[in-house]
Parts: sequence; C-alpha cells; structure tokens
Amino acid sequence: MTTTSPVGAEIDRVEGRAKVTGAARYAADQRVNGKAYGYLVQSTIGLGSISSMNTAQALAAPGVIAVYSPFNPLKLYARQGDSAERYVPLQDDKVRFRGQIIGLVVAESFEQARDAAALVRTQYREEGHPRTSVAAAAPGTTVPSDAVGYPGPPSKNTVLAPGVASIDDALRDSAVTVESTFYQDPQNHCAMEPHATIAEWRDGRLTVYVGAQGPQQYAAALAGRLGVESDRVHVVSPYVGGGFGGKYKVWNDALVTAAAARDLGRPVKLVVSREQAFILNGHRPALQQTVKLGASHDGVLNAVWHETDSEDSVVGYCPNLPAEVTRALYKTPNLHFDQRQVTLDLPPISSMRAPWATPGAFALETAMDELAVKTGVDPLTLRLRNYATTSPETGRPWSSKHLDECYRVGAERFGWADRSPVPGTRVDGEWLVGMGMASGMLSATRAPASARVRFRDDGTVTVASAISDLGTGATTMLAIVAADALGVSLKTVSAELGDSALPPGVPAIGSIVTGSTVPAVQAAARDAITALITLAVQDAASPFHGKNSTDVHYQEGRLEADGRSVSFAQLLRAVGNPAVEAIATTAPGAETTRYAMDSFAAHFCEVRVNRYTGEPRVSRFTTVVDVGRVVNAKALRSQLVGGIIFGIGNALLEVNAIEDNGRLANSSLADYLVPVNADIPAIDTHWLDYPDTVFSEFGSRGMGELTTVGSSAAVGNAVYNATGIRIRDLPITLDKLIA
Amino acid sequence: MTERERSEEPGDGLSRRGLLGRASAMAVGAAVVSTSSPGAAFASDTAAAVPPAVGEHLVDVRLSVNGRPVRLRADPRWTLLDTLRERLELTGTKKGCDRGQCGACTVHVDGRRVLSCLTLAAAADGSQVRTIEGLADGDELHPMQQAFIDHDGFQCGACTSGQIMSAVALVDEGHAASDDEIREYMSGNICRCSAYPFIVDAVKAASKVMR
Repeated sequence: MTTTSPVGAEIDRVEGRAKVTGAARYAADQRVNGKAYGYLVQSTIGLGSISSMNTAQALAAPGVIAVYSPFNPLKLYARQGDSAERYVPLQDDKVRFRGQIIGLVVAESFEQARDAAALVRTQYREEGHPRTSVAAAAPGTTVPSDAVGYPGPPSKNTVLAPGVASIDDALRDSAVTVESTFYQDPQNHCAMEPHATIAEWRDGRLTVYVGAQGPQQYAAALAGRLGVESDRVHVVSPYVGGGFGGKYKVWNDALVTAAAARDLGRPVKLVVSREQAFILNGHRPALQQTVKLGASHDGVLNAVWHETDSEDSVVGYCPNLPAEVTRALYKTPNLHFDQRQVTLDLPPISSMRAPWATPGAFALETAMDELAVKTGVDPLTLRLRNYATTSPETGRPWSSKHLDECYRVGAERFGWADRSPVPGTRVDGEWLVGMGMASGMLSATRAPASARVRFRDDGTVTVASAISDLGTGATTMLAIVAADALGVSLKTVSAELGDSALPPGVPAIGSIVTGSTVPAVQAAARDAITALITLAVQDAASPFHGKNSTDVHYQEGRLEADGRSVSFAQLLRAVGNPAVEAIATTAPGAETTRYAMDSFAAHFCEVRVNRYTGEPRVSRFTTVVDVGRVVNAKALRSQLVGGIIFGIGNALLEVNAIEDNGRLANSSLADYLVPVNADIPAIDTHWLDYPDTVFSEFGSRGMGELTTVGSSAAVGNAVYNATGIRIRDLPITLDKLIA
Repeated sequence: MTERERSEEPGDGLSRRGLLGRASAMAVGAAVVSTSSPGAAFASDTAAAVPPAVGEHLVDVRLSVNGRPVRLRADPRWTLLDTLRERLELTGTKKGCDRGQCGACTVHVDGRRVLSCLTLAAAADGSQVRTIEGLADGDELHPMQQAFIDHDGFQCGACTSGQIMSAVALVDEGHAASDDEIREYMSGNICRCSAYPFIVDAVKAASKVMR
C-alpha cells in the first residue's frame, strides 16, 4: 500500500472544523479566571504635552480598580529592538500624535472600564502644529536600511552603463520619456480580529494570549519592555484573526496590559476598539513617489528612475522602500532609485501586506502603461520587450523565473487580444469597459528555522514550529509537509504552532514562512526517522534489537528488516517509549549570494466605469503566478485571490485621510472602505509548476503577499483604458473620474 | 423541533429549576449547561469560572441560547455580543468593530440575523438566540459549515462565524438565487482575508443541500 503524498493537492484546512464551529479560541476568547478589563484613554490633540489629568471621577466610578496615566505610570523600560514602538507609554507628559495612549482604566467589567475612561479629564498644552504632510516635508532623508535593523537592499543606488555620466544624461538621451508622480494616503490593515491581549502573571512569569505574527519575536520584544528575561514571557497565539503585517510588533496597548496585570497581581484583558486599532496598531504610510522612464521609440528601456518620500511616524517603526520592484523587474542599462523617509507627527506606521512592493509596483507599472501609450506598444509586448533574465542591479541570474510564461498564459486565459488600445472606445450601455495589465514580483527569502517531528506510540505524528497561522494555511502546510516527508497519511499528523515555547520559528512576515519552514520540517522528519531506527536497533525490547542500523529501513510509517515489518507505533509500544522525536534547524546557503530569488505574477483586469457617475467596478480578473512548487493548491488559491482583492481595495477604496490636526479621519469600518462581497467578481487564478530547487530542495517559494503587488496597477491601467483618465493618487474614486 | 420546544423539554440537559438554583447559588451572571449541544465542552469546563455580574441597576434577562434556557442578572449596558462572549463564554461569536459595521458578530434572534453588538441583552429578553455553537447537530456539521470548509470560504476565521450565520439566514430568506444576489446579501459581512468568491461558492453549494 502506498500513501499518496498530499503535496500540491486540494487540502482542506486542518483547523477548518474549529473555525466553522466557533471552537477556535483567538486571543480574546481565551478563558482566564479572575481577569479584570482594561480600556485605553487617548490624547485628543496631535502635538504638545499634558498639563494635568483629573482621574478622580474615573477612580470613583463603579467597579474601577486602577487608573494609570503619566502621573500614575506603569513600570516599563525603553526601547528594545525593532519590534516595539519608539516611545514608551505613560512615562512622560509628551503627546507625540493624536490618539496616543495617555491612560489605562482597569475595572471589573468591560463596560465599567469603558465608561470610566470617558470620565478622565485631560488638560493639554498644544506645542506647535503637528507635521502631517509628506509633500510639505519632502525631500526626506535616505536612511540606510541596515541602520534600522533591516539588512538587505540598499535604500539608494545608481547603476550606469559604461560611458554614461549620470542618470539624468541617460534619461535625456532617451527618445521617449515618461515622468509621473504618485501619491497615496495611509491605509490600514483592518484584520477582522482587533488587537487583543490577556496577560496573566504567575511567580514572575507572564503568559500572554495575543494574536502574534511571530510568537517568539513577540515574546522577546515584550520581555525587553517589561524588563524581564525572554524566557519569562510565554506567548500563546494558536489562532490569529488576520495580521497583514499589523500583528508583528508589540504595540503599546499590549504593553500596558501586561504591565497593569503585573502591577495589580491579577490577569487583565484588553481588546482595542476598532477605532483605536486604526490609530494604535499601525498603517501603511503615506507616500509620494516619482518614476521616470527613458526608452527607445519601440519601448526598449534605457533608464529607470524611482524616488520616494514616505511617511515615517515620529513613533516608528520601519523604513519604507518602495523601489523593491523597480530594482529588478525590467532590463535596463541605467537604473537609479532613492527611497527617503520624512518624519511626521502621526500615529505609528507598520508593514502592510507587501509593504514596499505594493506601492512601488503601482507607480512603476502605471508608468510602464504610460510608456506603452506613448510609444504605441501593447503593454504586454512592452513588458516582454524589456524582460530581465539577470538582475539589472546585481547582474545575478534568477534561481527560477517564468514570468514570461505567466504573461502569455494569463493573456490567453483573460482574452487580452480583445483589448482595444484606444481608451474609451468599448461601451456597454452606461458602462465604459477597459482592460489593463501589470506585473507582480516579491522577493523570496529564507531564514533560519527549526521544526520538531515526533512519532507517538498511538500511531500519530506531531509536527511543531513556533510559527503563526494568520489564515495563511501554515498549520495545514506543516501537516502536509510532515506527512509527505514521512510517507504517512495526513490524517495521522497533527500540527502545532502559535506558541513561543515551540522550536524556533520564523515570523509571518515577508512571505517567508513556507519557504523557511518546509526544509526544517523535512530535516526534522529525516532525523526523527534516524532516531526511530537507532531506538529499534538499540533497545533490548525491540524486534530489531542488535541489528545494524543500515539494515533497518523506514518506509511509510513502518520499519522493515529481513522481511519483518513493524509500525512505528508497534515499536514504541514494544519498547515502552511514548514518543521519539527530532528537532532540526535549517538555513539558506551560498545560493543567496549567487542568485536573485523572487516570486512572480502577471495580472489582467477588466473594469467597468459608469459613464454618468464615474463609479469604477472590477468586472474580471485573471492572475497567473510562478511561485515554485505548490504545497496546498486550495490554500494557494485563497491566498492569491485574497491578495488580488487587497489590491482592488488598494486601487479603488482604501484611504485614511490625514487631517491638519493629525487625526486620521477615516478610522472606522464605516468610513474606511474595504472591499465587500458585492465589490468582487469571480477571479481566475492559475499557477505554473516549476519547483525552484535552487531556493530549496523542496522548491517552494513564498507567495502570501505576491498578488497584492501589481494588482492595483492593473486596475488603474484598466480604468485608463476604459476612460482615458490617468489617476495617480490612490484610491481611484468616482469623484476623480467625473472631475 | 423548534428551539422553544427543545428548550422546554424536560430532562434535556439541566432542568430549568436546577439551572436557576445553580445560577443563584453561584451568584453568577449566567450559566449555560448542557451535555449534548456543541457548546457543551465550553460550558462544562468553564461553568465554575463564569464571573459574577457586576454593575448597578442590574436587570433580569431570560434568553434561550442554542435551545438552552439562560437567566441573567444583567448590566443594562451589556450588549448581546458581550453577554455571549464574556458571560456565557460562547466566544464563537466575534467582535470585529462593536459598531454594526463588519458583521462578525452576526447571530440569529428569533430566526432573524441580527448584529449582536448593536443589540442590548436586555432588549433581547424573551428571545431565542442561536449562535455558531448551536449550528451543528452534535458532531454533524450544518451544511453551511461543511460548505465553508469544502470551498475554503475563510482564511483567518475571525469573520467566519458571522459569515456562516448570515449565510444560513440568507438561504432561509430566499436570497441565494444567483451569485449576484448572494454577493449583495452577504455584503454586510466583511472578510479582510477576502475569501469572498469562495464564500459565494459555499453558500451556493449549501443552499442546494439545505433546500
């Protein structure tokens, strides 16, 4: 009997039943006895200081246990590492942005805490005007990316062909040039689970129930701020209700919750309100960027130029490097980029789904569409004409790249040949119909990762790593890869993650989880098999005792030698061991210095724009990707579709406008529009099957963020094709189309 | 059998008198006790942990939750959502926005889908409440739950309870006639992971089984 490998098949989520029955316990669902409830008090000015806070009324309110403020602070420590904000709450009277945490009310019930928080009276001294405009503050500062803890791509670089004196010369000497400036306001993650923390201290040790994109990274950062050793903080995060980059960092709401629980000697639960989540838990930063392209009359690129000025909040926390795609997407002899940050007095920024590539690709791929218009070359032909086979910046070849096939297959599936090159010429009743396309690209990264594989005497296998499943399918991925590596049925495998006590796992950022973790699971499986065989030949109670270990063979859950076959469960029961396990750690090798590694996508979009109201609606979407080997076709499709819809929201709906006083004006789900079901048509996705065996033996690259990259440009290019109107300020709303 | 009939059936779980006696003896805000409903695991391992009602001007509220009678001394500020989650420990119903903007908290009250975050517990007095925990029949999933698994109608799962409760009601309302109709009538439930096309597939598939 041969066990069929589940790799690449349509596999249901292993935690699906728990999720559809309500049994899955997210952070705010965890049962902790004797807990009190916290509610945050926020500043109502954007810049200044607090002169006084009257907390008497709040303290006297029914059920109130404590009110913390800058005048009754919690014990916290200064910044530790990059996973925390740049300021520590409640330690001084400064107001750095509007909505900053300035108090915490703890009461017996949520209602009591919330209502008491409204009784706190605060007097402020406003000190100047908050800086709120990227355009006004530009140009910003080029921050070396490794100077802020993000080693890797340079923030600024210029590559020139021999004999070319400057990038400006290269542009000037090009027959055709395009220059476009783009702007977008902040956007928010809006994970459906708002940030929630339950903190419980026992004997100087903290257990914290929280949605964390990296349980161990979270534990380390939280411990630093609390002034305790990392091993004294246990993060429990079995389910994360969406992250999109917004649940990587230890936000200050979690910090004050943990500190209050320590101060009170009692568990504290705090769930931020949706409005607070918009402010306190990060946003995609406001961004102004300019792209210049220089090309021949037939569209062959001679120069690519990309400069960006991105909002960096005064309170953190990461540089925005939108030229990530520009650096490598097209073959060009001359390349220049400079990615600057401008410091504004706004709430904290954060990584949001392909944080760099998403806005960068919108600019570059819109500019490419403009070049197509200017040269009269079909946008698809233009991209094939400038196809890169080696990185224009480093000269390295790709580990595996089939973007050209993505373009061709996508065009065929979508019916790109039916597109009219003349904007505004396809009309269907009151709708103008247009088609657009764009490319997507996301760097494929592996990081050191560990996993544990354990054979158990009940015939089951467990596989574990301290990673997180934000809805990505990571739990199912672990089970699939372990089942495949051991040749056992998927049903016998259970996966454990979302716990900082498990073997070291990579955080769910940068789409690195699958690529990094698969090799670790495979190695742990191999080592567990070796351990099983060693036990079989060494234990006196084993039927294989005394045999040479090379004579005992493992196959599909059984050990065989000399015609005798025993299941691992039988062996473990025979020798009286409940389990045999192995932990393995794997890391990328020298290939990372020899190759460029990326995942690729080709997007094709049809939009319909109402001739009278300007309302833009996406009517069709086709995306074809090259992501290496596929672990789970079902989860892959969902991730691809989810990323595309993120891009549609990015293009047409999402904006959190900055008011002059520093308020993010759209901070609710009524005012900040995300796509709903009626906004979304059927979406066609397809993937090529080229295992990237340079990237890893298994050949699977990351893809969780890939289709967010470029999808918004495909929408915008389709809007242009429908209307002849080019909108460079996101989102593309009806008011801009009837102006 | 309707929920009301089931809830009044003698010997089905704890008797009403037994339940009330237990509730008052523990001075609890609520208790849900059952041996056979899907919520049983929640209730049995946590019944002792139900926190006491705190607050002023408490009011009596009687509900039937997933067919089980519940009597509460409720803070009049309690929403039905927070009552389910914080008092009855039925945490399958999620709080996404607390403002009626996202649909994550959707439950059925007297057979209609409602936003439990915009419904005060006191205003639901006398109502039949059905939550995600009350949808399956023992180990057998409701067709809508099974369809959501089959079609991958979710990723992170935080909106899923609300999606499924909306979807079940939508079919009962007769609004599953076409993809466009499903999209329209499911648009009160946000899914940020954006499983929308698969939710449409799931609702279509389940609606055929539910008929």
